[in-house]
Amino acid sequence: MKALKVLLLLAMGATVVAAFLWPEPAQGFLGESSRIVFFHVPCAWTAALAFIVAAVYSLMFLVRGNPWHDDLAAAAVRVGLVFAVLALVTGSLFAKIMWGAYWNWDPRESSFLLLLFLYGAYLFLRAAIDDPSRRGRIAAAYALFAAVLMPFLFFVAPRVTQSLHPQTVINTQGKILMDTPTKTVFFAGLACFTGLFVWLFSLDARSARLDRVRASGI
Amino acid sequence: MRVELEAADLSKSYAGRRVFAGLALSASEGLVAVAGPNGSGKTTFLKILAGLLRPDSGSVRVRRGGADLSGDARRQAIGWAGPDLSFYEDLTAEENLDFFRRAAGRRADPAAVGRSLAEVGLADAARLHVGAFSTGMKQRLRIAFATLFDAPILLLDEPMNGLDAAGREMVSEVVAARRREGAVVLASNDPRDLSGADAVVEIAPARARLTRGTP
Amino acid sequence: MTAAEARASFFRRSLAVCGKDAAQELRRRIAVASVLFFAAASLTLVSFAIGPFGLPPEARERVCSALLWVLLFFSAATGLPRAFVREEESGTALALRLVAPATAVLAGKTLFNFVLFAAIAAVTAPAFALLLGWRIGSIGAFAAVLALGGLGLSIVSTFLSALVARASQKSVLFVVISFPLLAPLLLPAIAATVSASSGEIPWTALRVLVAYDGAAACGAYLLAGAAWEE
Repeated sequence: MKALKVLLLLAMGATVVAAFLWPEPAQGFLGESSRIVFFHVPCAWTAALAFIVAAVYSLMFLVRGNPWHDDLAAAAVRVGLVFAVLALVTGSLFAKIMWGAYWNWDPRESSFLLLLFLYGAYLFLRAAIDDPSRRGRIAAAYALFAAVLMPFLFFVAPRVTQSLHPQTVINTQGKILMDTPTKTVFFAGLACFTGLFVWLFSLDARSARLDRVRASGI
Repeated sequence: MRVELEAADLSKSYAGRRVFAGLALSASEGLVAVAGPNGSGKTTFLKILAGLLRPDSGSVRVRRGGADLSGDARRQAIGWAGPDLSFYEDLTAEENLDFFRRAAGRRADPAAVGRSLAEVGLADAARLHVGAFSTGMKQRLRIAFATLFDAPILLLDEPMNGLDAAGREMVSEVVAARRREGAVVLASNDPRDLSGADAVVEIAPARARLTRGTP
Repeated sequence: MTAAEARASFFRRSLAVCGKDAAQELRRRIAVASVLFFAAASLTLVSFAIGPFGLPPEARERVCSALLWVLLFFSAATGLPRAFVREEESGTALALRLVAPATAVLAGKTLFNFVLFAAIAAVTAPAFALLLGWRIGSIGAFAAVLALGGLGLSIVSTFLSALVARASQKSVLFVVISFPLLAPLLLPAIAATVSASSGEIPWTALRVLVAYDGAAACGAYLLAGAAWEE
């Protein structure tokens, strides 16, 4: 286990350094600002991944009743919240540089903002229920209900908001033409951030399990 | 075919405090008394048996002829009445019971509702709003609710609460009649209520023993 | 019991729950009164601030559409959660759990909430249009948007109110957990209202609303047990 963490640390370090030194800045972006894609996209990816993880464990908890699955679902949301905030912050910084404003109501921005609200709402719901067994089931019901409505959040609402607000966004993923250095660092970053998510998520879940066991007085 | 209620290895904690552990019960006919001091978890135990609460561990099974009952069949095999049971105060006693019948999927049957109310001595108060009921009347209505579907397993939590002598006699009659056809699980602080039981479950803190025979 | 009988029984039981809620509401009229008062207060404020001439004509459609749905969302948040919260607070939820499955209770209360919403919208929307000098191009499309949007609002609000009924901070909690899930409904609803207001029929947005309502109904049905039973 420890070896993997060391490996992650080295890989992450290498990726961060490489992100600034190796690939050339992309065309069509101001100055060095395109480098943000190496940090912004992985954060967004892990924030979205967190939701899938939480939904899967919520379903397992409802079906099997194993409290450990509930710990895992909650941990996924907590860590996902952090990455969602990071995604929004990095995205806003980029927006400021490119278009002069931190927030533009771009459909993708808005979807992530709603995802952030969703994570916050899930945690608020958990905090508002005292009985641990009930808390898990109700939180799981909310997570799964949200999962059913997720496609509307990510794919539909953005397309509709376009008719309300002027379109200001250019495709920020920049995946169209990635040269080898960019591609390498990008996917390395994706892998490292996913690894970071898995590590933080398992830490949080194990800590939550300890809290739960201690609180139940066993 | 008799309906059997079987609970095994039940445990429950609230806010870090273990209420009970290792509770078991098996009932298909006769009177099972549940005894224990205040706060020992009798109400929690009966609610778990009724399916109103989830135990932290263990299981509750309702069986007929060896097959587990679930859904509506299970719901209607068990009648429960406890101090927490409340009714719709804006509706009359009749309307309350009629609603519960229809919510249970039964056809409206004013005669059956009338009989239930008469059995508990509320025939005169059928058209009265429950909000105007006295404590004793509400308790009688609870008994009527528990026996609404003639469930073979009857769970009564402190059924004599707030009742006068006539009310207590009414409950004794109901218990006597039902224990012949099925099982009655009765929880009470008052040892008089538990006399004549076929079996006793005693809930002491974090322990429980089931003993056969009259206490 | 055959499948058809089970379906019929499900509908009868849901109707019984809906009818009981309606009977209670007709006797006390608390939910309707509180929501109508909220709507009246909001309308007064908006009308006073903006009035029929306060908006330039080109902005009127969009602002009015958005404001109307904001009003409806908060009216719903005020009145719809009572369906489940009241059962828990008055202690009648125990009896209900013992006799009816979560799906029938949820369906019955959703139906009641939808009727409540329809009543509120039927009063609020015309008053809103009148007070703000808002001319609706296609009344039919407008009504369709209100109906479909209201249905989705009712389904989601009723389901979520089952979740918060046994929690603390209920009213704040309800708004917090409902907003992220209702935003994907409200945004198309607002866009569709804008179109209806200018006389077009917003086919795409209406399809989105139908799809949302369908997904929400399926989700609520499948998760009813986890939301309401112990």
